Amino acid sequence: MDVSQYLEIFIDETNEHLQNLSDCIMELEKDPENMDTINEIFRAAHSLKGMAGTMGFKRMQHLTHDMENVFQEVRSDKIKVNSSMIDLLFKCLDAIEGYLENVKESSDEGTEDNELIIKELNDFIAAANGGAPAAAAAAPESKPEAQAGEAPAEGSGGYERKYLSVKPDDAETAKIMEATEAGKQIYGFTVYVEKECMLKAARAFLVFKAVEELGQILVYSPSSADIEAEKFESDFSIFVATTEECDKIIEAAKSVSEIEEVVGGEIKEESGEEAPAEDAKETAPAVQEEASDLHAESAAKPQSQGAGGKKQAVAKPVTNRTVRVDIEKLDALMNQVSELIIAKNSLVSISSAGSGDFQDQTFHEQIEYLERITTSLHESVMKVRMVPIESVVAKFPRMIRDLSRKLDKKMDLYMTGEDTELDRTVVDQIGDPLQHLLRNSADHGLEDNETRRAKGKPEVGSIFLNAFQEGNNVIIQVGDDGNGIDVDAVRAKAIERGVITEEQAESMSQKEIVNLLFLPSFSMAKKITDISGRGVGLDVVRSNIEALGGDVEVATELGEGTTFTVRLPLTLAIIQALMVEVRDEKYAIALNSISNIEDIPVKDIKYVEASEVIHLRGKVIPLIRLEEVVDIGPKEEEPEHLTVVIVQKGDNLAGIVVDRLMGQQEIVIKSLGKFINNNKIISGATILGDGEVALILDVNVLM
Amino acid sequence: MANKALEVIEKQSKQYIVVMVGNEQYGIDISYIDNIVRMQKITRVPRIQPYFNGIINLRGEIVSVMSIRKKMGLEEDVFTHSSRIIILKIEEKGALGIIVDEVREVVNLSEDEIEKVSNKGRFINGIGTHGDELISLLEINAIVDEGQ
Repeated sequence: MDVSQYLEIFIDETNEHLQNLSDCIMELEKDPENMDTINEIFRAAHSLKGMAGTMGFKRMQHLTHDMENVFQEVRSDKIKVNSSMIDLLFKCLDAIEGYLENVKESSDEGTEDNELIIKELNDFIAAANGGAPAAAAAAPESKPEAQAGEAPAEGSGGYERKYLSVKPDDAETAKIMEATEAGKQIYGFTVYVEKECMLKAARAFLVFKAVEELGQILVYSPSSADIEAEKFESDFSIFVATTEECDKIIEAAKSVSEIEEVVGGEIKEESGEEAPAEDAKETAPAVQEEASDLHAESAAKPQSQGAGGKKQAVAKPVTNRTVRVDIEKLDALMNQVSELIIAKNSLVSISSAGSGDFQDQTFHEQIEYLERITTSLHESVMKVRMVPIESVVAKFPRMIRDLSRKLDKKMDLYMTGEDTELDRTVVDQIGDPLQHLLRNSADHGLEDNETRRAKGKPEVGSIFLNAFQEGNNVIIQVGDDGNGIDVDAVRAKAIERGVITEEQAESMSQKEIVNLLFLPSFSMAKKITDISGRGVGLDVVRSNIEALGGDVEVATELGEGTTFTVRLPLTLAIIQALMVEVRDEKYAIALNSISNIEDIPVKDIKYVEASEVIHLRGKVIPLIRLEEVVDIGPKEEEPEHLTVVIVQKGDNLAGIVVDRLMGQQEIVIKSLGKFINNNKIISGATILGDGEVALILDVNVLM
Repeated sequence: MANKALEVIEKQSKQYIVVMVGNEQYGIDISYIDNIVRMQKITRVPRIQPYFNGIINLRGEIVSVMSIRKKMGLEEDVFTHSSRIIILKIEEKGALGIIVDEVREVVNLSEDEIEKVSNKGRFINGIGTHGDELISLLEINAIVDEGQ
């Protein structure tokens, strides 16, 4: 069975259902009597079962089926929700996630049967029914059968024979005639898919597949393209040319799971019946007449259909305004926009070169127009790539719950700003660092229950995750109201480990000491747990975040708690930058890190600990000479005034001394490649309008 | 028969591009070569390995350029109008440019024209004879490898 084309949809939707289930089960733990939640879980488990069944993942289907059974019992009030059941349900989710991982990797669910979990699930049902497990297991299973039995009893009366009103178009009529002439029977069928069924298109596909083994499908209503695009409510009709019995085809179609009913019968079309009976000569005009009739009809129909289609198109987006797009397609689009911007920049540079030929007024206007378009095109593409961080943070409540049990500490997670949006590539990679910070808070940050009580703090510790946008950055704060970081302990440890000397330690600020925690293999954990403390901790967090072009800072108050602040750029590929020059070399500085630009007389430079600083509006700002950073010797003659670009990173300021400013430009970030050893101060390169290459300075590293 | 004989030769011989670096002829296995471009402005990148000259813009892509002379411990490059940048395509790591003084020709070397060497310095994996000429065959992996 070829269902591979539905694999991606299956993975996406399974993920959604799993997240939904996880949320609901958390909810259920807090409020075990909530019928809405229970129903929601039942529905989600049911959908999962159906989807797994369609894709042929038997083990996954089995597990979800038993999960569904348990909820059947909960729904009918036979079982009360308790904490061991919640634990078991989470185990189920993990198991399903395991299947899903296998599916992602190998398009197969794997061989793990999870018998233990299934046994536990059945034990629950058994316990509820007072040791009558067989009956309990049979009860829910018999139900669908009863439903199935009911349906035919009800007769097809409940199901309209919609195929009777299907009007084939010219081409289709011709096909039908051809088939009847070949001695085949034409049957019409209307297939009803279960209303709650996911992946209706997949179901339809399977029906077609089954039917096509017995005959040829001539007519689809709605069109096969619409069916594939899932543009139908819950039923669709087909005409089949076959030599088989009508019932046999109905049987085949029904064998597909979650098909509610199939009704069908012979199609007796006049043209089709008359044609073989009468003389060819006489038929010709009749057919033509018929054809023109059909033509008139079909001419009328497209209009109504067109209107109907439009109505649908307008109506549908209200319920579903999103499309899933492969990230590679977006990357391709993004690359093309990048190319366009480079081309635009080169036009701009030609026009501003002012060689005389291009001094035409309209030319400049057109360039400006092009500039506006590329900018807004870029913004649109960027927006398409933006996804809320919700997809990443949604799994954290569950994680904190598990940690709380494992560590035997009471804690709650408070999250805000889950709807904050970031570039898809950033969101995909931010999960691990955040998870690490949260574990860190839970494990090291929060005190145990007794200590908290003794200190007069609320027994339940708080962990928070706040996300919000700030300028061109997204800030994610992760923190706790625990004991904070003991700066003296860190200092002592750092000296003991030989990371710093005692003299160094004395001259270091509290902040600098705390930052030592980000050094590789510097773990403060007194005992190593499997949650954190193996020394592969904060340094990995920091390098992950820096790889995304962000940075992380820590603020701590002993006894009050710790907050990690992660700062991430909104976008990665294209940024606004200030172009500067040192001698004849050009460098780009990201605009979002620049606070202002100053013209400083050389005589205003002061010295603090032999380093150059300037005193500007009450702040002491260290100077960084770009010529030194990039290894160009000093100028022979020091000018009287220095151009200083003041850059900002968190609360820190620094002044970068450059020779000249070239102006602001939109630049496309390109990697330096894998051969050159990344020296960190250069985060990439960009191609300017004239084809020249400029390097992008990472000021975060300079500070 | 004739065809068969030709095939055998094809199988055993490899194509090399012959380039000059200093006064020595080097052969580069043609399957590594993506492109040969004229000398152009190389943008210096500060604080990188000393044998890298910098980066160039190769039709919108950034490509790092290595001085093969410096890598092999020879004297500084002198760029002339016959200097070329040979763009190598290396699996996984992408494109890399190396600077040569001159590109001469493409030669076919069959196996019996190549003398394997193991102790002739690590940048060379064999010496080819083509007519009267001797061609040192470059070991690309050694050039790509880190370290001096």
